[in-house]
Amino acid sequence: MAESTDLVTLTIDGVEVSVPKGTTIIEAAKQVGVVIPHYCYHPGLPVAGVCRMCLVHVEGTPKLQIACATPVAHGQVVEPYREDAVNARKGVLEFLLINHPLDCPICDQAGECELQDYVFHEGQARTRYTPDYAKRFNPVEDFGGDVLYVPNRCILCTRCVRFMEHVADDPILNVSERGDRAFIGVHADRNLDHPWSGNVIDLCPVGSLISKDFLHKARAWELDKAPSICTGCSQGCNVVLETRQGTVVRKRPRSNLDVNQFFLCDHGRLAYRWMNRGDRIEAPLVRHDGELIATDWDHALHDVAGLLGGSGGEVVVLASPGASNEALFLAREVAGDGFRGVFRVERVGDDVPLDGVPNLALRAERAPNVKGAETLGYGERGDLGADLSAASVVLVLGDALDGLDPTALDRVPHVVFIGTVLPEVGRVASAVLPTTNVAEEDGSFVNRDGRVQLYLQAKSGPGMARPAWWALGELLRELGRGDSPMSAADVFASMASTVEAFGGLSYRTLGTRGAPLGSGSTAAATA
Amino acid sequence: MGYPHTPHEKETVVLSKYFGDAEARSYDGWVQRGGYEALKKALGMSPAEVIDLVKESGLRGRGGAGFPTGFKWSFMPKEKSKPHYLCCNADESEPGTFKDREIMRWTPHALIEGCAIAQHAIQAEVTYIYIRGEFTEPLRIMQAALDDAYKAGVLGANAMGSGKQLDMYIHRGAGAYICGEETALMNSIEGRRGNPRIRPPFPAQKGVFGMPTTVNNVETLTAVPHILVQGTDWHKGLSLSNPKSAGTKLFSVCGNVARPGNYEVTMGFPLRDVIYEMAGLPEGRTLKAVQPGGSSVPIINREEAEACLLDYEGCVEQHTMLGSGGMIVYDDTADMVYQIMRLARFYAHESCAQCTQCREGTAWTVRILERILRGEGKMKDLDLLLDLGEQMTGKTICVLSDSCAAPVASGIERFRGEFEAYITGAREPSLAPA
Amino acid sequence: MMKETGTYEPVFTDDRRAKLDEIIARYPTKRAALLPALWLVQETHGWVSDEAMIEVAQTLFLTAAYVKGVVTFYTMYHQHPVGRHFIQVCTTSPCSLCGAERVMEALLEHTGCGDLGATSPDGRFTVVEVECLGACGFVTPVLIDDDFIEGVTVEQVPELLGRYE
Repeated sequence: MAESTDLVTLTIDGVEVSVPKGTTIIEAAKQVGVVIPHYCYHPGLPVAGVCRMCLVHVEGTPKLQIACATPVAHGQVVEPYREDAVNARKGVLEFLLINHPLDCPICDQAGECELQDYVFHEGQARTRYTPDYAKRFNPVEDFGGDVLYVPNRCILCTRCVRFMEHVADDPILNVSERGDRAFIGVHADRNLDHPWSGNVIDLCPVGSLISKDFLHKARAWELDKAPSICTGCSQGCNVVLETRQGTVVRKRPRSNLDVNQFFLCDHGRLAYRWMNRGDRIEAPLVRHDGELIATDWDHALHDVAGLLGGSGGEVVVLASPGASNEALFLAREVAGDGFRGVFRVERVGDDVPLDGVPNLALRAERAPNVKGAETLGYGERGDLGADLSAASVVLVLGDALDGLDPTALDRVPHVVFIGTVLPEVGRVASAVLPTTNVAEEDGSFVNRDGRVQLYLQAKSGPGMARPAWWALGELLRELGRGDSPMSAADVFASMASTVEAFGGLSYRTLGTRGAPLGSGSTAAATA
Repeated sequence: MGYPHTPHEKETVVLSKYFGDAEARSYDGWVQRGGYEALKKALGMSPAEVIDLVKESGLRGRGGAGFPTGFKWSFMPKEKSKPHYLCCNADESEPGTFKDREIMRWTPHALIEGCAIAQHAIQAEVTYIYIRGEFTEPLRIMQAALDDAYKAGVLGANAMGSGKQLDMYIHRGAGAYICGEETALMNSIEGRRGNPRIRPPFPAQKGVFGMPTTVNNVETLTAVPHILVQGTDWHKGLSLSNPKSAGTKLFSVCGNVARPGNYEVTMGFPLRDVIYEMAGLPEGRTLKAVQPGGSSVPIINREEAEACLLDYEGCVEQHTMLGSGGMIVYDDTADMVYQIMRLARFYAHESCAQCTQCREGTAWTVRILERILRGEGKMKDLDLLLDLGEQMTGKTICVLSDSCAAPVASGIERFRGEFEAYITGAREPSLAPA
Repeated sequence: MMKETGTYEPVFTDDRRAKLDEIIARYPTKRAALLPALWLVQETHGWVSDEAMIEVAQTLFLTAAYVKGVVTFYTMYHQHPVGRHFIQVCTTSPCSLCGAERVMEALLEHTGCGDLGATSPDGRFTVVEVECLGACGFVTPVLIDDDFIEGVTVEQVPELLGRYE
């Protein structure tokens, strides 16, 4: 973006637009709803200008110009659809296809392939590269990590090479050889083992770099997509969860320039299988004659409300820092005056940064909502001993028991477990309430930088599982301390009216980009 | 001098005066022949004065593009805030061209002197002389001359006693035609693949190592000392036709000629005299076609060649370009289809692989031409070649792709009958030269 | 993955390391010494192996993949071992017009290489066709190792080869 705020006014496809000085034509065109076809250009990478797909006519210049590298100018008239520009792009598409195997039926990229899309829009119906000529052939290569390289589909746009060189700052991909013999190469000394290298799969505009994890798993058009937040660490990368028939089959970055730009680390990318696990609690359980037995929600809520109402002592909420703000807030409300909230968080090694992007890393802190828990009054504990021994009831929220000493809960009079999968330690619980996971509900997290971000439901939960906020909201009603909330947004609204840091924020204002804690307050809004 | 022959009487020998004179190679020999007087004079002038002088002389780049040298220099920042660089383009790789090779082989100090003057004019501390890797002999000779120039105090911390730091290093190429393109050359110096860069930024703003840079061809730089010594009027006077083209130019005449070699003539000299009188056609042959400026320029036929005056404008008038002055002569025995295929194969081999049209288009062009030579071509292939040529022209980062298309299109236009003979079967298929 | 050969001899020790340091000093970046470093490798080993690319990468703070991208761009770096004498013969248009292909065929025949790019059974020669040697007026130019020989004719080929053991 230009340093100066000077605006430049130009005309693109007959529409006048003003953009900051220094903007390129390709970005300015987006402002008027024109996507100029392109392959090598990507807003997260340095400009290469090599695919020559984004050629447009600029009045007064003898040659067609590449929109990705040509800055806007006052009074400039850009005609992306003039005959000479369309013909030039037609030519590029024909060149790109002469060696292409046209194996779309077995290509994972089919349906989300920019080669298919642009040929559909602007290509020619027939090739003049007759079958008399052999096509270039190179075998499929395993680049390591999650990445397979199918060189025959490669259009040499070099996005992957530029990502590794300029964004990851670890050039382990290259362009090898010259002319039409060129391909994307590696050196035998190293796999594509950089912890952020999976991004080359998303960056590849065609089916040349593909995910081994996703290989032949689904057709692009069968996928349902929901915006979500990665739970792999406290960075809060924006992601899309892609499901096929109720199963998460792929997790990809969703662009957010304030958080992860366009990228997602491999740890986060591949950590989605747990969302599909089959050993879930599917019905509320209550203890009866020493045994946990399945029951319905009404009975379970009634029993739990009885435990809480009759406890008289301190209610400790042992929460997972992966629980939503909504669940953490309502758990606090349920605990009432005797509330004490604690959480534990796993830390692994050091942050693993993506060098080319400021403030982006796989964080050592491996939970998505530590900041949210802290903001809502929960405290981190290394040793839970003192906290738990004083409690009359421990409300366990989410996967908060992982790795806990099996005897830790022995002396607690009552344990209520609210979560997705019951671990061995949790079997001492007096009641178990089944909840949905991050893929199965709406909710919000606060990332390490204090940014509140929403995630939306991608698939349905198993059996009778309900969002934790629902279960906790119903408990509040049972306890006579509130009405049932209708949605996660409702819960957020009451949290915003109670907790100052969330003040003024709402699901509507957060949208798909999120907003910093405190930014919704009147003071911040007028600042 | 029509090196390797005795000079023809119609030549104007300036740069080639000492070709073949082994004594001119040494530092002492060069000084005895008036060498380094021009540098001494230049160092006594301000950089701006040197630039103005070269501007005034009308000297234009001899590498192919013909851009006015003094203007190019004037694009460099006047106020120095960071290092400036001069790159001497000695990557002479344009088929048909072998003049820079002879300049370096016979008069290495002439080039060093030219570089040093340019370096002073653009306020560069360092010159990199980029010599193609195959030029083993010029590499040895230039290195020896540089060593001598350092020893003699011409170069180094106090160049010619001027108090100025002038350093000069040879950077050896390693087999890539495209490194003769100035931005590719800079990438190659930086230790990268020789990929041309998109412009802007232009080298004078952001060149090698991201610093202001000027790239000049060997012949251009070698012409500079003469301008300093003999003056701008002398140089401007070396013009037989259009005053915008001045000075002498080396033409590397090759292909079907009796006496191939470098012929130095004044700008505007008739092409026909170079071919018929100087180089001469082989016994009993007639002229069919010429590429006057290297393999990248359009092929012209005999009529056009005979009417062509050798300067930037004269060549354009005859539908071609002066280019590098590598004059490829085709006589009546030449198989134009094979030769054009051979040129296309050169470009397909040398394409850097960046731009789609070039990477795919050059290789496709070769395949079509080979098919025609095999006797399997179709008439519509000729239109396809012309259409691919359109797609390959004016649409890429550099002009390699245009350079492949130019001889193909101009060749089909002028010698369509030869192509059709292969297609109809009137001519025996053959993938070997005639 | 890289096979452990255990036989790789580092290039940049002692004199060659000093030579490289001197070259590095000519440029503002270490990367710029890549082409010269690869020339030193080839002078020492006769070709640029994967192991050598790793050594160069470590020496200049690059990655081996980066080095490989550069090596494969420039045709004069050998990516495979070649014969004791490496012969490059020009057959581009100006030379082709004067019969350079016949010189190339004579070289293939008299070296016993048979095919372009192949090494003769005795390991003595490798012949390649090269795109323009920049000596179009001295047909046919042939580069044998670092010896640039002008005006080679078919008849001269046997005698010429005799000079290289």
